[in-house]
Amino acid sequence: MIQNLPWLFLVLPLLVAAIDWVVFHKCPKTAATLSILSALGTFALCVAYLSGWQTGTPDVYTWMPMASGTLSLHLGLTMDALAMRMMLVVTGIGLLVHIFSLGYMKGDSSNLSRYFAGLSIFMFSMSTIVLADNLAMTFIGWEMVGFSSYLLIGHWFHKASAADAAKKAFITNRVGDFGFLLGILLTLGVFGTLTFADMGTAVAGVTPCLLTVTVICLFCGAIGKSAQFPLHVWLPDAMEGPTPVSALIHAATMVAAGVYMMVRLQISMGTGAFTETACMVIATVGAITAVMAAIIATQQDDIKRVLAYSTLSQLGYMVMAVGLLAGEAAMFHLYTHAWFKALLFLGAGAVIVCCHHEQDIWKMGGLARRMPVTVLCFLMGTFALIAVPGFSGFFSKEAILDAAIVNHPAFFWIGAGVAAITTFYMTRLCLVAFFGSARAHGAEEAREASPTMLLPLLLLAVMAIISGYGFVADYLVPAEGFSAPGFHIGFTFYVSLGALVLGLLAAIAVYGFGKRSSDPLGNNFIATALRKRLYIDALYDKVLVGGLQQCGAHIIEFIDSALIRGLLVQGLAWLVGRVGILLSWIQCGSLRAYSCVAGLGILIIIVLIAL
Amino acid sequence: MNDIATYCSATYTWGQFTPAFILIGIAAVLLMADTFIKALPKRAYALTAAIGALLVACLTVSGEHTNAYSFLACLATGLSILLAYDYTKVSCASIAGGSNDEGTGEFYALPLVACAGILCLTQAADLIMVFVSLEVVTLTSYVLAGYFRRNQGSIEAGIKYLVLGAMSTGILVFGAAWYFGMSGTFILDSSVVIDTLRVGSVAPGTVAIGFLMAVALLFLGAFFKVGAAPMHVWIPDVYQGAPTPTTTFLAVASKTAGFALLCALVVPFRDLAIPGVLVADMLVCVFGIVAAATLLIGNLGALFQSNAKRLLGYSSIGQAGFILVFFVNLSGPVEALTFQYLMAYTLATVAAFFAIAMVRTQRGSEEICAFRGLGKTNPRTAFLIVVSFASLAGVPLTMGFLVKMASFISLVTVMQSWTCLVWLLPIMVVTAAAGFYYYFKIIRAMYWEKPQAEDKPLCVPFCTACVMTACAIALIVLGTWPLIGSFR
Repeated sequence: MIQNLPWLFLVLPLLVAAIDWVVFHKCPKTAATLSILSALGTFALCVAYLSGWQTGTPDVYTWMPMASGTLSLHLGLTMDALAMRMMLVVTGIGLLVHIFSLGYMKGDSSNLSRYFAGLSIFMFSMSTIVLADNLAMTFIGWEMVGFSSYLLIGHWFHKASAADAAKKAFITNRVGDFGFLLGILLTLGVFGTLTFADMGTAVAGVTPCLLTVTVICLFCGAIGKSAQFPLHVWLPDAMEGPTPVSALIHAATMVAAGVYMMVRLQISMGTGAFTETACMVIATVGAITAVMAAIIATQQDDIKRVLAYSTLSQLGYMVMAVGLLAGEAAMFHLYTHAWFKALLFLGAGAVIVCCHHEQDIWKMGGLARRMPVTVLCFLMGTFALIAVPGFSGFFSKEAILDAAIVNHPAFFWIGAGVAAITTFYMTRLCLVAFFGSARAHGAEEAREASPTMLLPLLLLAVMAIISGYGFVADYLVPAEGFSAPGFHIGFTFYVSLGALVLGLLAAIAVYGFGKRSSDPLGNNFIATALRKRLYIDALYDKVLVGGLQQCGAHIIEFIDSALIRGLLVQGLAWLVGRVGILLSWIQCGSLRAYSCVAGLGILIIIVLIAL
Repeated sequence: MNDIATYCSATYTWGQFTPAFILIGIAAVLLMADTFIKALPKRAYALTAAIGALLVACLTVSGEHTNAYSFLACLATGLSILLAYDYTKVSCASIAGGSNDEGTGEFYALPLVACAGILCLTQAADLIMVFVSLEVVTLTSYVLAGYFRRNQGSIEAGIKYLVLGAMSTGILVFGAAWYFGMSGTFILDSSVVIDTLRVGSVAPGTVAIGFLMAVALLFLGAFFKVGAAPMHVWIPDVYQGAPTPTTTFLAVASKTAGFALLCALVVPFRDLAIPGVLVADMLVCVFGIVAAATLLIGNLGALFQSNAKRLLGYSSIGQAGFILVFFVNLSGPVEALTFQYLMAYTLATVAAFFAIAMVRTQRGSEEICAFRGLGKTNPRTAFLIVVSFASLAGVPLTMGFLVKMASFISLVTVMQSWTCLVWLLPIMVVTAAAGFYYYFKIIRAMYWEKPQAEDKPLCVPFCTACVMTACAIALIVLGTWPLIGSFR
């Protein structure tokens, strides 16, 4: 029995979600308490397992038993270091976000039970992905996180933009998931197994071409979930959801699931399975996303959108690292990024709440004096993100750049360039929002955030500073046998320091210390293009939604209305309905008619049987 | 004399009938009390009778002569008396008029007698016991169906049931006579069947037509009880007209009796169920045709019903059709599968009738539109109703899905030996789909239609709440447990 304790990681949040939804849908306080307790429970369990507690191998549940010898679907748990340490990130940040939500959602008129049930169902889904021992189970979790993300982005569904964003996120992910599903089927066909543990031996003898196709198909899933170019469009819109949700799902955990999955595959298939072509595709997609998102971020005014594009850009880094066969570096960055980006989002959330739900940085200003602790925490996160030496993000970015310069110098220079742009837009954000004087009424009235919001911020700020050092990273980075790369002053260090200084100076030169009231770089065609997100979203709207969909809609409309609805459904329904009327007409209430029908029937039966 | 008796009929022990005697005893005590003690409120009898029936249900499970059908019959009887307990407002108005409860006492005691008949029927091993016990059930049911003497529908139902029931009894007795004439015994046993068919009164090796005539007539008698075509004609009118507690009894307990009888009739033929044997081919073919006709009549006839009780009447025909498919697969575990299906059907149907009775008492109508807006006014009750109707329709995660799937699997299994039954499959698919349409009519009324201004939230009586909750939980637990059970 005790060996099945790890199933609690999945069962507990799922159960709590159901209870919140069904029983306590009118008692938000109880629902919130239950959700927090479940997050706390899974976190404690995770800590217990990481500190060496062992309960044996959890049982495997045969979900769809089929004839012996053929395929059957299993649900099993992987409990290796990669999974358990990832669980620590998920449950740890999850717990802090749950607590933060208490303060953030206070006074919100929407149904908080629904909100917390959504968070719990997300915790369940994310844990499923992390702990899955085969690709089918990963896929279940994959779809479930999509579903919970849909619920949470659309939490304020009465706002049209939120409802649209939820839909957009869901549909865009569908595109990626289609590729992912193809990849899973290919894996099954090529390797004959979906279980991660069996993949290593199955790889031998598969032609490189087939391997490339399989890996790229699986990578499609990661493109959707981790919002890589060209499916990145949903993530900035997802910021319509409540900010704690953005912190948990759209910054720290769910969007990182793509990277996690690719690293998991890399470990179980072996790096040999990632052929040169596949690696090139993956690294290029990552690099394009990193550069493009960073550039767009320089002209965003919404504090959450800046952070969203920065998430895209950092995810691009990680994917690039995966493509450079540096899974360790990718996971290291994933892990530090999870802490500091959650910090940044929660900090942004605190700022937004304190400025009466104002998200435009040009309507803030001077916040450093009014809410110093929050701003200080936010700055810690920023320093980690822009890789100030000594902060956690610095170490992980160095790891990626080190891997890049060994494997492919071109990607190194791209990475360094992105680092400079990152520094530029984050410095711009901080200067405009926190320094100078208040530019709007909301910012004038801002006060320090409440304790339930400050506590997670402080804890995350600590993690943002220390999580990169070996004494923490060696024990917590989700990778097998990880040891933090020893820091040495070398070529990469100089380059990234140069990028940092360059970005910092440029931002200060342009924006001063918050004295300006509008963006001096705005109002030219480049800025407009960046504000319009390089017209990618518009292009999708025109070509895909407008063109393809319309064209497809006509064809489908024809099949649907003429063949399916006209002939099959309505025709069959008509026929069935007529027979039904006939039958109920026999049942007219006349006893004689009844006896007659029964008598006829009796005759028929007797003839059938006896003659 | 003794010799003839042992030759003609099976031997029984007293122990087999203990539960039946207990029920009869309770019923007798209640009837006496009803006559001589005027001070007691009549509802007390209902409660006593219900508890008695449910306790006997426990006894049938634990006792020496356990029988799944006995348990189901006692359970169904107990629940239908509980329904009568919550239905007293209408009962009083329809029996004595106003709120006077005079004359309602027997209404609660009689189902016990009928139930005792069913218990005897499940133990029957010869046709005499079958006939006597069946008549105990039927005669009591006639009285119960026409019990609301101030209600025209109830009287009409009673008369129709009596006339058509008399016809079916006649057919059954006729069949029994042929049986005795051809085989020289009343005992239902495979050896009798085999002996008669192989070396019967006619030349050896040929099929005794007279014996098959007997079998046909006996089956028809059983078809009447289960509501299978062509003997289904009484169901819609009687179900709609009879008092709701009686309808419940007819729909679940009486149907259980019918299937117990059908099993007893079919089991002797099991050894012959080999493709190529003439009798087997014929029986499979007939059961296939009857099942198809029953499915079509029940499910398609239900499509346009607007009265909830009549709808459930057609539904009970349709569900019987799915059970009859088990009988097509003669060599399979017919009894176990039928019991499972009846269990799911009983739980869901009882809950549905409790809901109808509650709506009838408080909104004064049994039409489907009387359920309007329950999703808004009584969300929890509405959910329980959804569970029971979803189970009837066969929605996954409810027990109704599993048993309906078993029905499909049963057909697919038998198709491996008798490929000629392929045509039954599309009929099952279409009728199962039709089920979704008409069961969801009630769900649609509850959630899609807005409550009108005068609609107050229903006040759910205690027994109704308990039974509906228990049924819903049982349906979901029994529907999901086999899925979880594969944990290893």
